[in-house]
Amino acid sequence: MKIVVCIKQVPATGADKRYTDDLRLDRTGVEAIINPLDEYAIEQALRLADAGTADAVTYLSMGPDQASEALRRALAMGGDDAVLITDPALAGADEWTTAKVLAAALDKLAPDVALMGMASDDARGSLVPGAVAAMRDVPLLSYGSELALADGEARVRRLSATGYDWIAAPLPVVATVTDQVGEPRYASLKGIMAAKRKPMETWSLGDLGLSADDLHGAALTKVTDARAPEEKPPTERIENLPAPEAAAKIADWLAARKLI
Amino acid sequence: MSNDILFLAEFSGGAPARSALELATGAAELASQSGGSAVALAYGSGAASGAGALGAHGAARAIVLGDEDRPAITFAPAAIAAVRDAGLAVLAPATPNGRDLAAALVGSLDLPAFGPVRAVRVVDGAVESEQATLQGSVITTARPADGAPSPSVVLVLANTFTPAEGGSGTAEVTQTGDAAESALAKATVAESHEAEAKVVNLEEATVIVAGGRGVGGEEGFGPLRDLAEALGGAVGASRAAADAGWIPYQLQIGQTGKVVKPSLYIGAGISGAIQHRVGMQTAEHVVAINRDPDAPIGEFADLFVVGDLFEIIPALTDEIRRRKGA
Ligand SMILES: Cc1cc2nc3c(=O)[nH]c(=O)nc-3n(C[C@H](O)[C@H](O)[C@H](O)COP(=O)(O)OP(=O)(O)OC[C@H]3O[C@@H](n4cnc5c(N)ncnc54)[C@H](O)[C@@H]3O)c2cc1C
Repeated sequence: MKIVVCIKQVPATGADKRYTDDLRLDRTGVEAIINPLDEYAIEQALRLADAGTADAVTYLSMGPDQASEALRRALAMGGDDAVLITDPALAGADEWTTAKVLAAALDKLAPDVALMGMASDDARGSLVPGAVAAMRDVPLLSYGSELALADGEARVRRLSATGYDWIAAPLPVVATVTDQVGEPRYASLKGIMAAKRKPMETWSLGDLGLSADDLHGAALTKVTDARAPEEKPPTERIENLPAPEAAAKIADWLAARKLI
Repeated sequence: MSNDILFLAEFSGGAPARSALELATGAAELASQSGGSAVALAYGSGAASGAGALGAHGAARAIVLGDEDRPAITFAPAAIAAVRDAGLAVLAPATPNGRDLAAALVGSLDLPAFGPVRAVRVVDGAVESEQATLQGSVITTARPADGAPSPSVVLVLANTFTPAEGGSGTAEVTQTGDAAESALAKATVAESHEAEAKVVNLEEATVIVAGGRGVGGEEGFGPLRDLAEALGGAVGASRAAADAGWIPYQLQIGQTGKVVKPSLYIGAGISGAIQHRVGMQTAEHVVAINRDPDAPIGEFADLFVVGDLFEIIPALTDEIRRRKGA
């Protein structure tokens, strides 16, 4: 059973972020990390490998050259090899473009499971996995707190409105997992050393049989404006008051806003 | 190609989700700007009999994609058939089910995707959407690229639109046409486990009292429940409280929980980590109760109360009950 984990390099959570004059994310000087939610997908894949259910784990990322660092870090956690898709024509890629490129790469890699995190830290549309599934015409099993594989079938445990379900579909599938999978492992020193010798390929759009024309430039969307959020009025504080007086003040505050 | 605004209308257990009513009103608002009609894509149990009533909230027409309780993604083939070459935009709720279906449309029909948006409008014949990206640090405005296919697929956060009430219209209901074969239809529910206690849908609450690690345990949520009841609201939680097993994961707010937009959010014993903040920062009013005067939530709350939640919350509940009784 072969798993490909798709990972994205993102600016560190909480890092200062700016947009360039052409309205793209300015990544210079910003610490880059593996999208934290992708680490849970890595952890899930490695647990299936540890259990002997998966016999190959490959990482796939689309991004600039420096995204190879994220792939190396993933390889240090475990897994076998990695593929970076990088091409100048992909600058400014949106969700549709990303899905199109990942789908083409997954066609080549032909895994039983393409596994992804449930969202990316920097965009949060969560649309890429489902779009990839639709483009490849394979089932989508999303938002799993656990992924199980057996008998030509994949299952995810997914929260329902009132409890949880196990949703099943025949392989191959695209699956996404949540942070309930369990804490991602740390890379050991041995893992970091081993990762340096693990194979990593770099593919261009041409290697996928795609051209910039197939990608509508790089995106079906265009950002026309980027600005700082509106300034909020300063926080009002209530402190050093006995509880009943604090409560009366809170109630006044709520009443003034017609909230009670 | 029409100027219609389509929207995903989820039904379950025989009734429409609140998102269906909100999006009916939102779609009608956008349709009045585009010169088209609001069209529901109704799915789930109760869709066939309930779709017509979406007319009262703004839908002119409704297409029924299917009327069973099954994984939302399996309605994708019918949704794709209904959306092909239709309209200016498809609004989808920014919920797991809504995102799955929206993604299937984007991937199958090569459509531009937006959101989750905090505002959307029609400008110069195309949808223009406004979204908070990078954990809310930047607000971007986006449009379809020149020559991009239509419709645009737009994820919409809960409570972005308020359902119009008091309307009396009935949407004209049709069945979906022939759907192509698709592997997306192959997902099935293999097992279903119901929780013993009933869990509210937090996205639909207009008042939320959320508790975090500071609540200290399952019993600690008792006073929060009393306050929520006095305010006519629901109880929510941080991941720390859900991870501790004090409260079901359905009530977790944040990046990997629910994204909520109530008119009032009260957070007690919650520090305000970035992953929690992205789930509640669009609440209209944020009140935080924390005994640490330097807790990060104090930097973005509208009202920050420094104190022990076990003293403040019961006192506040009493105060509100007294004022309501008066
Ligand atoms: C990938 C990822 C995803 C995540 N997703 C989410 C998510 O969706 N939602 C989420 O909430 N978190 C999420 N987290 C976790 C997040 O980073 C924080 O760890 C979490 O939100 C902390 O919860 P808390 O505020 O309840 O606890 P803490 O940070 O421990 O804060 C507890 C607070 O309670 C206060 N307190 C204690 N006792 C009292 C008292 N008696 N009275 C008043 N105040 C008191 C303390 O001063 C403190 O500020 C995620 C983390 C990661 C890495």
